[in-house]
Amino acid sequence: MLEIFAGKQSLRLAKPIMNAAGVMGFGGEYNKLIPPDTFGAFVTNPLTWRGLRAAEGMRVAALDSGMLIHTGLPNPGLQRAVQRYGARWANSPIPVIVHVAANTADELTACAGYLDGIDKVAALEVGLADHATHREARLMIGAARSRTQLPILARLPLYQAGQIAAAAVEAGADALVVAAPPRGSARDPISGRLIGGRVYGTWLKALALRAVGWVARNVHVPIIGSGGIHTPDDAREFLEAGARAIQLDSVIWIRPSMAALIAEDLTVGMMTRAANSLADDMYTGYIDPAARRAQLLPSPPPLPPPPTLPED
Amino acid sequence: MQESQAIIERVRRVAPTVLRLEVAVHRAHGAIGGGQLLLARVAEQYDPYLREMWQPIARRSETQLIIERPAVRDYTPGATVSLIGPVGKPVPLREGGRALLLVAAEASPTALLFLANAALAKGAAVALVLIGAAGRYPVEALPQEIEVHRVGDYAIWPERDRMLTWADQVVATAPPPLDTPIYVRLAEDLKRIRLQPPPELATVLFQMPMPCGVGACQACLVRIGGEDVPACTDGPGFNLFSVKLGG
Repeated sequence: MLEIFAGKQSLRLAKPIMNAAGVMGFGGEYNKLIPPDTFGAFVTNPLTWRGLRAAEGMRVAALDSGMLIHTGLPNPGLQRAVQRYGARWANSPIPVIVHVAANTADELTACAGYLDGIDKVAALEVGLADHATHREARLMIGAARSRTQLPILARLPLYQAGQIAAAAVEAGADALVVAAPPRGSARDPISGRLIGGRVYGTWLKALALRAVGWVARNVHVPIIGSGGIHTPDDAREFLEAGARAIQLDSVIWIRPSMAALIAEDLTVGMMTRAANSLADDMYTGYIDPAARRAQLLPSPPPLPPPPTLPED
Repeated sequence: MQESQAIIERVRRVAPTVLRLEVAVHRAHGAIGGGQLLLARVAEQYDPYLREMWQPIARRSETQLIIERPAVRDYTPGATVSLIGPVGKPVPLREGGRALLLVAAEASPTALLFLANAALAKGAAVALVLIGAAGRYPVEALPQEIEVHRVGDYAIWPERDRMLTWADQVVATAPPPLDTPIYVRLAEDLKRIRLQPPPELATVLFQMPMPCGVGACQACLVRIGGEDVPACTDGPGFNLFSVKLGG
């Protein structure tokens, strides 16, 4: 169980795993593929104070072992979203964390103030801009903190995570999500145009893992690791790096069944591993660390045969 | 909607550029309808990363589908496939319809073939218009009952007015970003030709990438009646006259 405290309120996660913002919709979209109680919490798609329309043109580009996606953060606006999805959030068996994206502190203040006091919302996740500075991080998190008692999770941009983590905590963030998927560009093969957007893939793990490790060593609030987790081993590596929980992103789209596998492995497999007992039946890919070391390290040279003794 | 395993039982190369896979599927996937699709992952590796969008062209039985794929990669008989779906809503054939017009522009007509086969099975006449790059599709792979017309461009489709008048139902498809201009012109022509086109007259199938298939990632949103709706849950076929085209 992970508990994130924010003064009088707290966010309790029965399992150290949740989805990343932007992956599972606004509530209920994945119910037929992933049981709602698979995770410890549900994070909504990004919501803005005023509604946004979908981006025009091509929105997805395939990459090697990854993808680029550019949606424009379409959403009906925070107030309409609460009206439309509030009943689903109220019926959710797990805490609902509303992710808010804002360009200005005023917008964030409005969002935080509106969500404060809505009992179906367990926490607020604030997405910070990709190039946010110390000052901007303090301004935005401070703006949200001033209007809500809810636990605040600050989602840090990957390349700025180390620089602004402390500022976000000082301004009132109760936990840090490390990190948001970075932005990239790719060519749409049909139109021939370059499109820009968030990039996801297996290769993201190494970058996010390093960021988690650095931030965990330098700030002292719970870290939620996110970025490129595709297997139970990936998830464990984030926890070993210092994260107290993890978020799954694009693996949910391409292999939804892996979400349950990772969740099971984190909640049951951790005990199995610590007790050094047999591999978890749920995940046939599990390899005992000792066996893995034996695979990777060269085996010692065979001993020479003992000298034969001369016959008498 | 569910995720389950399927097995590729047979692979047939019906033309140099077209493969047809006979796939044993779960009953839930076998119940797929025209216009719907399945998101398929053939290999355990993550390259390709996105699931393939598999469009069935026929149902052999409750648990066997024929999937048409471009011959750009190999599929192995006996291989296990992870399928998510059925994605989207089925496009119904119009009740009592006797003349189905299918229009494929700048891409393979694969997405239309399930409807074509279903209409032929009901004894309807089916005409298929292949516009632009769609004309490269090997028509020898199609049932002989389908009347095929190849045209270089929508604007120079010589039989356009006559065929749009003839059809009880029109289903069109084109890949993004070429879909919008084609659909705009089709809507204009139908409104010009038909006095009061019934709402179920024309359906357009959107073929944008659908990473999640459940409307969560919002990569496939289409503007309908002032709202953005996911093509993977509310489509991919939409009533042509309800779609907001052209921005």
